[in-house]
Amino acid sequence: MPPESILLSAFAALTLAFALVFAPRAVSRRSLAVRGGVGLGAIIAIAVVPNLDLALLVLLAIGVVDAASAGARGFGARLRAPVLAVGLLTLAGLLARAEGPDVLARFAAVGLGAGLAAAVGVMPYLHPVEPDRSQPWSSTAWLAFIGPVLAVVLVARGENLLGPDAGGVFGAILIGIGLLNVAWGGVAAWLTDDVDAAWRYSFIADWGLVLCGLGLTIVDGRRAALLLLFTIVVGRLPLYVASRLAGREKTVTERPINLVVAASLAGAAPFAGFAARILLLRSATQLAWPLALVLALGMLLWLPGSYRLGQSLGLPRGRTAAGILIVLALNIVVGLYPLPILGVARL
Amino acid sequence: MTEIAAGLVAWVGASLVVLSDGRRGLALGMAMATAGLAAIVWADVGPVPAVLVAIGGAAAAGRRLTSGPAGWNVMPGGSTPRFILCVAAGLLAAWVAFGVTGGHGPGLRFAAISVVGLSVARVLFTTAPETVLSGVSVLALAVATISEFEQGGAEPWPFLAAALIAAGASWIPIRAADAA
Repeated sequence: MPPESILLSAFAALTLAFALVFAPRAVSRRSLAVRGGVGLGAIIAIAVVPNLDLALLVLLAIGVVDAASAGARGFGARLRAPVLAVGLLTLAGLLARAEGPDVLARFAAVGLGAGLAAAVGVMPYLHPVEPDRSQPWSSTAWLAFIGPVLAVVLVARGENLLGPDAGGVFGAILIGIGLLNVAWGGVAAWLTDDVDAAWRYSFIADWGLVLCGLGLTIVDGRRAALLLLFTIVVGRLPLYVASRLAGREKTVTERPINLVVAASLAGAAPFAGFAARILLLRSATQLAWPLALVLALGMLLWLPGSYRLGQSLGLPRGRTAAGILIVLALNIVVGLYPLPILGVARL
Repeated sequence: MTEIAAGLVAWVGASLVVLSDGRRGLALGMAMATAGLAAIVWADVGPVPAVLVAIGGAAAAGRRLTSGPAGWNVMPGGSTPRFILCVAAGLLAAWVAFGVTGGHGPGLRFAAISVVGLSVARVLFTTAPETVLSGVSVLALAVATISEFEQGGAEPWPFLAAALIAAGASWIPIRAADAA
């Protein structure tokens, strides 16, 4: 069991508890607890099962449950991404284990990369953006709640299956998909008209950096990926939920809290995203400096999009404001002193 | 030879799932795919996992026989692309299983590749919940079969999990179309 997966499961539980405590009174706690609890159970199951095949079956099961909860209208559309992911990962696992020429392992690496992208929700046109306003977090359940543990487990199991040569190919594919998502997510979060879609693209851009970190295969890259996953689960996800709940009034403000949230989302110092970006650039420099240059340019794309997303929180009040302050404080603490988290993950 | 014949039965079953829009056709396809996969698992892994696969698939096929669009409706009008897909998937799976890869279990590789490919294609290109769930049930069973290639041999847990998913997916309640 990858140690990062235990840590990320704990973060997901923390975020669920946060949502239960700090969501406004109008939100159904029972529905949130049931849906979040099922998702958390799936996360833990994916983390603890002993092999890839069982992890894929858990992924398929949670995909069916998630799709069924959306009703018949969205059932088929919501099930496409997890089923495609399971299919690609199954075929990749088969090719990786079969006897044959070396090119088979490389095809397996391609399948693992594509399956990972489909599973976490960064494959274009596959995950529908939810029109259901009564479930504001459902469209990001895969990206920000189940996806982080799933990605860590799939990368760890995939590297065990592949040899050193195909492992290098797998890393290169992850970096390629990551760079694509950095550019696509960053530009789209900036330019799209819909604020909800902008939030979703911002998750995708963050995932781009995570995939680059996972693909770099050196310890600083893994550290960066873990800290970025922390910022997704314990930073961006609760802020997104707060934004969706504030969106009822459709207010856009430029108060200090909005600017601080924007800085957190952009990965500015002293938030956790800053430490992650420094580690990522350092690891990219160790591998190939042009990659670091591309990543640094890509990171600039976070600035306009984050400013816009920070404004979308409106003027938070009451328990929502308290929750946002706690999220920001946690991100500052981890940004200033990330060693305990990295130590638990043995990185 | 038996294993290869069972692989062919599994491919025909998965093709029927792709080609059918009626519950009888879907149920027959699921039953044939289950029978093929269970026979391969019996030969390669053992009787307990094979029985688990058979029970899961039979429960799923039985449920499909009682719910979904009535009739057989195999190869309705406009299904030529689906037919070509089934043939192409079978040829590609046979080439990879028998020509490109080696070692034991060529029938298992053929069955797994063709059933996984066809069931995923079925889910991607349809919206009817009953049809989607038929593809999911068959996919779950196929995923479990490749655990035979796991280092140290296959354990019964993936087969048990796959049987539960295959059976459970067919019985899971789906709310009527909502307005959201």
